[in-house]
This record gives sequence, structure tokens and C-alpha cells, in this order.
Amino acid sequence: MKYANRAGLTFLVPALLIIAFVLLFPIFQTIVLSFGRNSTSVFIGYEYAGLANYQRLLNTPRFITSLNNTILFTAVTVPIELVIGIGLALVLDRNFRGKGLVRMAVLFPWALPTALNALMWRWMFNTEFGLFNSMLSDIGLIADRINWLGAIPSAMHMMMFVSIWKTSSFMALLLLAGLQTIPDDLYEAGSVDGTTRLSEFRFITLPLLKPAILVSVLLRTMDAMRAFELPFNLTDGGPLTSTETLSLYAYRAIFQYVNFNLGSSAILIQFIIIMTISVFYILMIRRGEM
Amino acid sequence: MTLFGGSARAPASDQRPPRSSRRKPVSLGFYIVAAMTVIVSFFPTVWIFLTSIKTEADIYAWPVQYLPDPVTLENYLDILNETPELLGYILNSFIVATTTTFVILACGGLAAYSLGRLTYRGRNFILILILAVSMFPPLALLPSLFNMFLELRMINTYSGLIIGHAGLYTPIAVWILTNFFKTVPHEIEDAARVDGASSLRIFWSIILPLSVPGLISTGLIVFIFSWNEFPLSLVLMSDNFMRTAPVGISLFPGEYSFPWEIITAATMLTILPILVISGVFQDRLIGGLTAGSGK
Repeated sequence: MKYANRAGLTFLVPALLIIAFVLLFPIFQTIVLSFGRNSTSVFIGYEYAGLANYQRLLNTPRFITSLNNTILFTAVTVPIELVIGIGLALVLDRNFRGKGLVRMAVLFPWALPTALNALMWRWMFNTEFGLFNSMLSDIGLIADRINWLGAIPSAMHMMMFVSIWKTSSFMALLLLAGLQTIPDDLYEAGSVDGTTRLSEFRFITLPLLKPAILVSVLLRTMDAMRAFELPFNLTDGGPLTSTETLSLYAYRAIFQYVNFNLGSSAILIQFIIIMTISVFYILMIRRGEM
Repeated sequence: MTLFGGSARAPASDQRPPRSSRRKPVSLGFYIVAAMTVIVSFFPTVWIFLTSIKTEADIYAWPVQYLPDPVTLENYLDILNETPELLGYILNSFIVATTTTFVILACGGLAAYSLGRLTYRGRNFILILILAVSMFPPLALLPSLFNMFLELRMINTYSGLIIGHAGLYTPIAVWILTNFFKTVPHEIEDAARVDGASSLRIFWSIILPLSVPGLISTGLIVFIFSWNEFPLSLVLMSDNFMRTAPVGISLFPGEYSFPWEIITAATMLTILPILVISGVFQDRLIGGLTAGSGK
């Protein structure tokens, strides 16, 4: 039984006020600013400039580079995270001694602050005193110390590595939720029919896990597309602009070059790309459900 | 739109009956994978900890000295004596994250009760609106929020950043709590209705007490998000003494030098609460995360 209730609407007021103040209005203002010139507010001294900022961005090589970096970063990290995430989820879906420790090990990277985690890796990748160089030279893989974060393209590779290390676990947790909705009967029936582990995974687990896979890939794609504090703290976008993401570019346009309008357009382009990918995924999820 | 139905009621736990494939004992290979996971996950943190208890001479040495010899707490004492602003950052983070958590639980809880258990026109529209605005990149808020807060004199205030974080994470809290509240049996609420209890009364005396696990899960997740949040904290707290820990530590190095002995020690202090929470409350966190994504 559900209750039709006027009180229901009043209960929404505090949450909606906060959301309107922090999310809705600023988003609206960012959209308007992206079509403006020399303006920082929609109320005071707003000057309309049409699509000028967008045109300028598409003709700015540095913006195009950041767009490419972001897409490359997302396209490489998300699939690898998915594969590792499925593996970890399958491990966590079983009962064994010491499971609590493994679960904490999966949860911990997700819970670490991305900014500080980037600093931790920056220290480990340090050229002169870093653990990474030390271990590689101990096992004889490198002769001279390598400046991993100071070279192209290794800086981007390192950034991808750190992201995969940190977020595969998040993928695993979402997939675990999907695994646990698979009815036991199916596995029972499978074992009566004499399935092997591999065919069990191929014909029972994977098809039923598909909705969870799509959701976690969607969430991770959205997240990877807006990576900000990872490049900010690991490489500062460098060397040159080889690890500068869209978010970092927009941040710099706004706060370093104090061009609120150009920065807003960059964020809007980022959002349009994220939206397009999301709609595509949601359509796939919907189709999978029917 | 339920994708993994009922996941709110089925957090990852050991209590479920084993499935056929699971009854088989795990193999040695399985344990090797599990052990690798643990090692890879804790490896960076262990290294940062080891660095933080080395002397400065041992930190900047080649070949790298793997184990601290001698062990020293000098770096932690240096924070206390020479750079107390680092402790101030952690205190700021604590004030912001704790208050944010309670603000979100109060506002988000009421909203989730309304959206999860009451019926009225426009309910689904509001749920979808809340989800849609939370998809905007946080960076999209920065130019506007910065100017608004400047006008309202809310830059470099706790209340400013708390409101910012509350806005950022109320949507996710509403989603998670809506799922938890749906699992409270309707019979109890029906009985109270018959006795003439108001909706607010039912929320306070029935739904909240029966949803304590869900509130803890949501609260912990929101606390971690706020503790870790970077872009808003970076822009809305520009005064050195108002910075939160992740921002303060990452901007601490300055232009040219990187005092790793201080940074590693401060990082350890900042991630300590995270380490404790993910160890002690793993069931709660996993339950909350899976409840939030299940819709």
C-alpha cells in the first residue's frame, strides 16, 4: 500500500533546495556562460557571443589534444578495468578463509583519495629515488633510471596504470552485486548437466551479468571522461600537454587564463560527449532488459 | 528500471548458502590470486608508510633502502612542530566531511522517504531529474559556484564548502537511501497510519530506526566522498589555512621542492580514517554501493 500524500512534496524541499543551489543553477549558468564573452555572471554585464567560444576551441590544438588524451585514457582504462573487475568479482563471490582481508583489499583503493593516491604513485615513479626504478634495476630490466612521468608517452601510460589500479576495484564491487542476483538454481541445473567451470562462466554467468557490466562500464566511462585530480597531481598535465585531460584544460582556462566563457564551453563539450555515450549505453541496457 | 533487483537486501556477505560451484573447495591457484590482490592493493600504502618512518638521508638514497633503518618518527614530529598547518588541513577535512554527512542524511533521508514510499504526481520525474543533474561533471559547477560564493562571501568558509559537498552528494545519497527505505515492510507503516500517525512521525519513529544499517552505509560513503573531494575544495577554499587535507597536501610542495618526508607522513595521517573505515565497515560500504548502483 502506498500513500498519496501532500506531505511527500514538502519532504523534498530541503534536498531540492540544495540541489537547485549547488547543481541546477550553476549548471544553467555554465551553459549560458559558454555562449558569452568577457562575462562571469548571467545577471551582471552578460555579453552574448553565440558559438564563438566553441568555434575557437575546435580550432585550438591544445584543446583537441586534451580531447584526444581524454578519449584515449578512457578507451584504454575502462576495458582493462572491466576484465580485472570481473576477475576480482568472481573471487569475492566465493567463500574462502581470509575473505574479509581480500574484500578490504578490494575496497581500499576505491576509498583512497584520488589526489593523494596520485601523489603516492608520483613518489614511487620518482626518477632518482623511486621504488619503481629501484625494483626494475634490481631485477635487471633497466640499466639507467628512467623518468617515467617526464617522458612522452610513458607519462600517459603511468596515468592509465594508476587509474586501473585504483578503479578496477570499484568495477568489481558493482559486478559483485550483479553476480549475487544470479539464482542458485541455474548453477545447480548447470552442474546436473555437467558444465565445466569455463562453460558455466560462458553460458550462465556472463549473459546474466550483462546488465551489471553495462551499468559499471557506463559509470566508469563517465568517471574516466572527467578525470581531473589524477593528472593534476600525478603529472600536472605534462610533459607538454601529453596528459592534459578535458577537465584539466577547462580548469586552466577558467582559473589560470581567467576565461570563464571558454572554460565553460570546454566543459559543455565534455558533457555533450558524456551524454552521448550515456544515452547509447542506456539504450543498450534497456534493450537487454526486454 | 531495476537492473539487479533486490540488491539492497543482498549485500555482499558470507551468509548466503553456497552455490554448487562454490561448494567445491578453492584451489591453490585461487589463493594465489587472492594473495596477489591483497599485495597489489596495499603495496603503495605500505611503501608510503615505510617512507614516512625513514630518516631524510635514507629517503633520498640510491640504491633505494627498502626497509627503514633506523625507524624514526621524526617526520611526524616535524609536522607537529614545524608545519602545524598540515594538521589544520586534516581538521578542516574532518569538520567539512562530518557536517556534510549529517546535512546529507537529514535532507537526503527526508527526500528518499518521500520518493521511495509516498506516491504523488511527478515523483518519477524528480527521481530522474536528481539522477540527471548528478551526471554533470563537477567541473561544470566551478565557474558559477566560484562567482556565486564570491558574491555571497562564502569563499573560504566551512559552510560554503559544506553546502557545496552536500549538493554534490545529495543525489547519490537519495538514490541509495530510497532503495534501503523500500525494504522496510509496509505492514508496519500501514498499522501506524491506521493509528493516525503523520508522515513525519512515521519517518522519524518507524522508517529511520528500521533503516539504521542503510543510514550507516550511506553516511560512510558520503563521508569518504567528502573527505576525498578535490575540485570544489580546491576552488572554494583558496586561503591556505582553510584548505582540506587532499588539496592542502597536494599544494604543499610549492613550486620547486618536494619534501617527500613530510608529504608521506601527512598522507598517512589523512588516509588513516579511510583505512579504518574500509577495514571495519566493509559490509556496510559494499552494501551501500551495491544498493546505489542497483537502480
